[in-house]
Amino acid sequence: MIESERQARVKKSTSLHLAMEAAETLRQITEFPDNPESMAYFYDLYQSRFKDGMILEQNGKKLVGTMCLQVPDELIVAAGAVPVRLCSGAYAFDQAGGDFMPAKSCPLVRATMGMLQVNNDTMKDNLSTVVIPTTCDQKRSSAEMLRNMDYPVTILEMPATKESDEARTYWQESVKQFALGIQKICGRKITAKSLNAAVRSKLEAGKLFRSLQQLRTESNPIILGKDIWLVSNSYFFDDPDQWCQAVKGLIAELENRKSENFSAINRKAPRLLFTGSPPIFPNLKLPILVEQAGGLVVADETCSSQRLLHDAVVFDEKNLYDMVPAIADRYLKPCTCPCLTPNTDRAKKILEMVRSDRVEGVVYQAFSGCMPYEMEQKAIGDMLSREGIPMLFVETDYSPEDQGQLSTRVEAFIESIKVKRRKTQ
Amino acid sequence: MSSIRRFLNNSDINRFRFYFQLFAFVLLVYGGYLAINIGDQLPTFACVFGDKRGGSCYLMGFQHQMTFPYARLFSGPGIGVLIGLATFAGFFILFNKAWCGFACPLGAIQDWLTILRRKMGIYYSTYSEPVFKGLSTIKYILLALLILIPMGIGNSFFGLPTLNHDFGVPFCMICPGRTLLPLFNGDISQLAIDFSSKTKMVFSGLGMGITGMFLAGAFAKKRFFCLFCPMSALHYIFSRASLLRLTKDGEKCTRCGNCYRVCDVGIRAIADDLDHKNIVKDDCMMCLKCVSACPEDDCLKATYLGIPLYESTAEGFFRRRLKEDD
Amino acid sequence: MNYFVGIDIGSTTIKIALCDEDGSLAAHVTVPTGSHFHQNAKAAFTGLLARESIQQEEVRYVMATGYGRKLYREADEIISEITANCIGATKIGRENGEIRTIINIGGQDLKVISLDTDGHVKNFVMNDKCAAGTGRFLEMTARNMEMDVMELGDCHLSATGPPITINSTCTVFAESEIISLLANGHGQPEIIAGIHYSIARRVARLAKRIGVEETVFFDGGPALNRGLVEALENELMQPLSVPDLPQVTTAYGAALLARESVLCVEGNRYV
Repeated sequence: MIESERQARVKKSTSLHLAMEAAETLRQITEFPDNPESMAYFYDLYQSRFKDGMILEQNGKKLVGTMCLQVPDELIVAAGAVPVRLCSGAYAFDQAGGDFMPAKSCPLVRATMGMLQVNNDTMKDNLSTVVIPTTCDQKRSSAEMLRNMDYPVTILEMPATKESDEARTYWQESVKQFALGIQKICGRKITAKSLNAAVRSKLEAGKLFRSLQQLRTESNPIILGKDIWLVSNSYFFDDPDQWCQAVKGLIAELENRKSENFSAINRKAPRLLFTGSPPIFPNLKLPILVEQAGGLVVADETCSSQRLLHDAVVFDEKNLYDMVPAIADRYLKPCTCPCLTPNTDRAKKILEMVRSDRVEGVVYQAFSGCMPYEMEQKAIGDMLSREGIPMLFVETDYSPEDQGQLSTRVEAFIESIKVKRRKTQ
Repeated sequence: MSSIRRFLNNSDINRFRFYFQLFAFVLLVYGGYLAINIGDQLPTFACVFGDKRGGSCYLMGFQHQMTFPYARLFSGPGIGVLIGLATFAGFFILFNKAWCGFACPLGAIQDWLTILRRKMGIYYSTYSEPVFKGLSTIKYILLALLILIPMGIGNSFFGLPTLNHDFGVPFCMICPGRTLLPLFNGDISQLAIDFSSKTKMVFSGLGMGITGMFLAGAFAKKRFFCLFCPMSALHYIFSRASLLRLTKDGEKCTRCGNCYRVCDVGIRAIADDLDHKNIVKDDCMMCLKCVSACPEDDCLKATYLGIPLYESTAEGFFRRRLKEDD
Repeated sequence: MNYFVGIDIGSTTIKIALCDEDGSLAAHVTVPTGSHFHQNAKAAFTGLLARESIQQEEVRYVMATGYGRKLYREADEIISEITANCIGATKIGRENGEIRTIINIGGQDLKVISLDTDGHVKNFVMNDKCAAGTGRFLEMTARNMEMDVMELGDCHLSATGPPITINSTCTVFAESEIISLLANGHGQPEIIAGIHYSIARRVARLAKRIGVEETVFFDGGPALNRGLVEALENELMQPLSVPDLPQVTTAYGAALLARESVLCVEGNRYV
């Protein structure tokens, strides 16, 4: 069989699996009672983007793929291109990636690579470059594979620690080089004005997401965590202005729910914090299971949701020499990714969220093969147990096969929180 | 009450500070025209050499008192010294380091130079951490010298001969306030090298050099001179007792570093210190830029007698950041 | 008389336990799950009521648990088997001291639950997707040895030599390993002991992930196997508290919870 024909068949079958998977996740999500009406925008968005392979919209602009939230996408926007985060949550792509990636690699990296491999024919031309920061080992190594697939790759050098002045300086220089590189690739100079506009756009999104997060933690539950992931995940690829419009609508609806004292689910639902390897649509398996079992995810410490938009760029002088390092700082200093060491900030952040959001239990997801999150599990668990907060550690991947087992574990965890609550009341 | 607080927290402290500095500058440099005299022990550089000043810097009188022989210093007149110090401390305790950020005329000049540089689009310089640490000890050395040198006039150390009276106010001789501030009263007489004695020649020569460095330094680096300021060192002794405080709630801090990013004097502890509630360090000038750059609710706050004056809030943060060029 | 029922629908067997108003175990039955587990469960339940001459009206509340719990629509409420197991074990094991760890081996799964001092679930681990080290493994062994699964324990205890090392934990590979060991003339008791130790090692590894605290309670059908109990005690280096009816602990726990649910609604009438 001719190679191109084989490739076309793989692509067809993967696209079908992807559409099925997306439909199944959306079915599970929409099956919950009392979904906010404004969520329809997001349900439709996923429906259309995943119905026939992974669709990347360009609108006549250059596309720059990013492989991590550590990529300062303000610089890409300022250079006139559209950033799109490629991190994939699709099991269909994970299986495609399994053809050439190690069995024990992280499903997120495997799925992303699978997507780029299966769609090699179109994406190679769609993407002006794929930006890979040197964060975890697997993303770093995947750069080599992408080069072999003839993708244009841009490496963004990131230090493995953030504490020292040297690390900060190194990262600032690295971001500066990235800015110079990206404007060459995109063929447009970054100016203080265009960069300021890009920063403001992301700030606006950050401000809205913070308001949404605030509403999510109300003591009367008005929105579920599964919807929040849909909202934040769509920032990966949606048009920022449309996204902001949709989120504004959602916030207005939720404010309304709040004033009417309307509850989306049982008011006594155990309040949970979700952390660890990032759930990315369609793999919202674990958050959905948790909420199907009667829990409520009020906060998350994941790079696919709350960490995505929380931090804000501040600069003192509206000149590129101050703005670019300021953007660099935004992406390094508050970062709580476990590929950094020491990473005490993550534990601290989780603890602060547990306290301020009145969290009763923590669900910790680690993808099998996601070493950084697997390694940090024990330290986080020990810290939480000292604080008297139970933690459920789940090691899983993108396959739906373990749902039965997982649901038993999740239900037992939620029951144990209810029992504990009854005891302390 | 809560709406007033919200209004304050949403406000732009930088703009307020700019106008307040202007007001304070006029008051301290030109107050004399209106016969205003706030006091003679001010914890800021209201230069005594300016004729029309609205108050006087404490360092001049303090150095002068230090020239007393021990016999006088530790008897009746010593009480005067203590009263002077107490008055200084009293002024200082009212506003803490905000004297530096909001009132100091030399500080204002430096900030204006910064604005000029920014408008010209010239990159500012920074220090690396070790250099910063090394330089910030210089102010304590200067403080020690400005006490010890005048003491050497009235007393003999280790049998060495006493110094002559040209050594009376050594810091004033090298202070850029003495050369620059009288200029605003139209007095250019201080901007010269005094050849009347060898000592004076050396001191005033040094003063001229330092004035040049002050101007060039402040242009290149934000608040360049403050790092060496012996007044700031003297402040720090009383800082803990002040009614105005800058506090940090380490639990709320995400160490995002925004505060450190905007800090004109480069205090890293503001971002990285999670343990201390009182976050005023010896180089801090309480400009409160850090509070306005902090996106976390109630993390950083300025309080007066425990009453919050200006708190970091997400709302205020985004309001300031998003309106800037509208 | 009022009765409260716990029905534990597992992968291999269905366990039904009845408790009375005092919370003590009044009756129980264990039947194979089979392919029509819903019918089998209902039949077993009706049979149990008939055997004990209990009227349907006397049954106040039914709590379903186990993998089939969601499909047993006649239940008043469902509860996960982990919570049910914990309640049952705490009650039954009380005379042997405070239960802090439960090891449960089921037909297709393996659970280790750690409890806090008040007897509530503190943490738990389960085996992953694989059935290695579960009841299924024992069934496979019995089939190859051509004996009943209940005979494995006694056969183990009759071993004269040390247990033989079984390298594979995977059921499929272990089976071929056993066949070749038999072909090479090794004694059945030693091979069986080896299998028990292989399961015990796997359980011990899992248990160490959450920490083993005394007293350790061992239940689930395989806990009837004395050879496995001995192997597990050796691997954990701790004595185990094994109940007389290890297979019905979870069903009994569900029955106790059924009783509690009624108490919550009606006040403390039955205390």
